[in-house]
Formats: sequence, structure tokens, C-alpha cells
Amino acid sequence: MAQPTVVGVGMTPFGAHDRPLAELFGEATGAALEDAGIGVDGVDALYLGNAMGGQIEGASHLAPQLASHVGLAGVPCQRFEDACATSSNAFKHAVQAVEAGRHDAVLVGGVERCTPETGLDTAAMTTEFATAMHPQYEQPVGLSFPGVFGLLTDRHMHEYGTTEEHLASVAVKNHRHGALNPDAQHGREITVQDVLESPVVASPFHLYDCCPFSDGAAAVIVASADAADDLAGEPVSVSGVGHATDVVPIADKAEPGATQAARDAAAEAYDAAGVGPEDVDVVELHDCFTGAEILATEALGFFERGEGGPAAAEGRTELGGELPVNPSGGLKAKGHPIGATGAAQIVELVTQLRGAAGERQVRDADVGLAHNLGGDTATTVVSVLEVGA
Amino acid sequence: MSGTDRIGRTEPSYETWRRHLWEDRVLLGQHCGKCGHTSAAPKAACAQCGSRALERVELPTAGEVYARTRIEIAPEDFEGPYTVALIDLGGARVLARLRGDFDIGADVELVDVYEGEFGPAPVFG
Repeated sequence: MAQPTVVGVGMTPFGAHDRPLAELFGEATGAALEDAGIGVDGVDALYLGNAMGGQIEGASHLAPQLASHVGLAGVPCQRFEDACATSSNAFKHAVQAVEAGRHDAVLVGGVERCTPETGLDTAAMTTEFATAMHPQYEQPVGLSFPGVFGLLTDRHMHEYGTTEEHLASVAVKNHRHGALNPDAQHGREITVQDVLESPVVASPFHLYDCCPFSDGAAAVIVASADAADDLAGEPVSVSGVGHATDVVPIADKAEPGATQAARDAAAEAYDAAGVGPEDVDVVELHDCFTGAEILATEALGFFERGEGGPAAAEGRTELGGELPVNPSGGLKAKGHPIGATGAAQIVELVTQLRGAAGERQVRDADVGLAHNLGGDTATTVVSVLEVGA
Repeated sequence: MSGTDRIGRTEPSYETWRRHLWEDRVLLGQHCGKCGHTSAAPKAACAQCGSRALERVELPTAGEVYARTRIEIAPEDFEGPYTVALIDLGGARVLARLRGDFDIGADVELVDVYEGEFGPAPVFG
């Protein structure tokens, strides 16, 4: 078995982009190829993440289109769709293909446009996102995605005493981190009061508890350690990837707030990497809503159930704290172009583990973990990356 | 083999589930003969254990609020604000509209059916 590594990374700034998907993808891919020091002749395949191009942009069969746009016509291409976990699933398959020796070096890219630049306003885009819910037993009720996580967080508040102030502290932290990231959509710091005074989207979430609509692309080059030896890019090892699913619809999950897929995916990734939550130095996790970050820090084993809220409020998860979570700003401040998010988490982890994150650098970061969630928590991919593993 | 006894068919079908809710205000579900899971969202197999030994059941119309969210920014074709809740029917949970202010754990019953663009949804209160 070959040791998979990430040897090159690149992304566009996240935000509103009035450009076609291909141009965004081209920019992220160019940066990743340059960073790896590899030419297109060295890339064996494309693993593409794009969740909603078919429904939002009327664009299907995207993988070969985008491959052609970046000079990769001819290689095997595949496109993945798993709601917000789209490009981490692409990443998983790329890692497996390299590990199995099927390919030496592959491109994993994610790209999406979700802002009003697409011509769709907030209500229309809320509807597009809601298509990830059960069409018969969830969509007719009028549930939105903020509402899905609102339900889970409402229950968490009931069971453990998590407060709106705890939730707001996650947004404040991630905005503070995002202000240090030039690629982040939101570069402005906010206060707990700002969050609590912003309008309610779906209780208990105010506007500032929610990640924005975003456009953008991210790309990484996955290569075997042997192939990476011949390249200029500094490789970071992929030591474990876990992927699990849970029951849809949400009403049928054994315990919705447990986010069982995250627990199962984490167990698989930790086992493959031979590490535990206590070994992790830096985390990029799926904070689509502030409550989602609290649930995730518990499901990943960093805190006991019910302790995620107080831990965030006490600063334990901020830069300089015991376990920095979302130093990039996370989905909350960096932005969340659905199909690009998983790849962008890998971009941040590699940057952190190389010690190249500048002002937002996590000190002595050797082990990084990415947690990317799709749909009503029904899909989760957890990846562990390490320096020199 | 007729369409109603094929292996893997969904019983009750969505059409049957929908009509019972819409016309008779009856919530149909399935009870798994193997693991005991009860679902308000009928499938071809049990979501918890995979068994196809599912029995069609009428679900209770009274239960407890499990979790709530007040939707202020609604998807297109819905007019907010309104409350969506998971209702625990004692074995099965169902996603529903919730009419009125209720705490988690409060007793509620099926009081209406919301008839939206995408199909009917139970309303508890």
C-alpha cells in the first residue's frame, strides 16, 4: 500500500464571484499544481466535488468540462455529490486510489456558487439547499437547513443547558479567526451582542449564528509519498479517512443530536491513523451553524457531551487555546461554497501543518483533523493529516 | 407477480400515507418485526436494522415535543414564520408543524394537516 500525501493546495478567496464555475476551478487548480510543483502531465485523474451545479447553474457532466478547462482532458474524471460533504468524499476516493496504487498523483477539486451572483435570492437558495432533505417526509413541512440544526441545537440546549451565549461565542471566535485569513469571506470581528441582536433565521440561530452563502473553489494534489519525493511541494501525510452515514429522515435517527455518523467516521479515521482526539493539534470542522460546531467538538471526542458550549465560551477552542478549532474562520467566516468546503478544509490543514499559516498559525501543529458533514448530518467524512507520518 | 406483492415494495406507499393523512387525518407508519423500530416515514426496509419484515401500523395521534425550531426565513413556497418540531409518538418520531408555544416534553396532539405545495404535513398543537 502506498502512503497517500497532500503535496499541493490552492483555493480562490471565498465570497461573491461573478465568474463561471470553470474559471473559479481553474484558479484553485492552478495554485494547487504550482504549489505541488507538478505539471498536468503528472496528474492521473480528477476527483471533482460539485453538489448543485445541475440545479443551480443548469450545468451537468461537469468533471470532464472542468478537466478540459485546466488541461487535463483525457484523464479519468468523476464527480461526487454528498450535499455539504461533497468534496471530502471526492478526497476520500482520491486517497484510496493513491493508497491502492491505482494512481500516483491526482487532482481533487471542489467548486460551487451559492450567492445571489447566481441569480437566486435567499429564499430561492434556501429552497435549493432544502432539496437535500427527504422529499416526502421533510420538505413538505417547510423545514430549512438552519431549521435542521435548530432542532438538534434546541434539544442540546434542553438536555445540557447550552445557551445562546455559548452559541454566539463560536461565531465570535470564528470571525476573529477569519479576520486573519485573507481568503475568508468575512474579515470583520463581531461581538456576542452583535450575534444576539441580529435577526432570527431559525431558532435558536440568529443571522450571525449561520454561515453565509458563498462562491469559490479549492483544490489539492493527492500523491503517493514516492511520487511526492520527486516534487517540490512539501507533502503532508494523510494517515486516516473515515466515512459514515446515518438514517434519513432526521425523525428516524436513533438519537438525532448524537450526530452518529460523525462519531462513526471519527472512530474509523482515528483507528486508521493510530491516534486519538487527545493527539489532535488543529481542527477544521463543519460549523455551518454555531450549534453544529458544538455538536461536532463533542462527537469528535474533544469534549464530553454537554461541554462543547462552555468550552467554546471559555476560549478553549480559539487560537492560543488548548485545541484551536477552525483557525481558517471555518464555514462561518471563511465561507461555505458547498462543494468546495471539504477540499478547503484540507487546504487549511496542510497550510497549518506546514507552518505556513502566518498570523493564524497554530503553534506546534503536527496532527490535524478535518470534519465535513453533509445533509441533515447523514453523511460525515473525517480526515486525519500528519506531519511526517 | 402483481405490483402489490413484489419483494422490496414500500408498504404503505407514499400515496397511501399521503391520502390517509390528507383525507382521514391518520398517520401511517411501519413497525419492524425484527428490531422493534417504529417509523413514521415508510421505507422498503427498516432504517435501523435493514429487515423487510415491516408491519403497517396506525401511529398514535398524541405525543410529546422532542425538539423545536421557529423558522423565520422560510424556503420559497412557504410563508414564515412558523414552527417545525420533532414529535415523539412513543416509539416513532415524526417531523411536523407545531401550532402554539410548547416546551420540549409538552403533550401535544395531531390537530390539523398543513396542505402545502409539496404535499401534506401533520400539524400538532
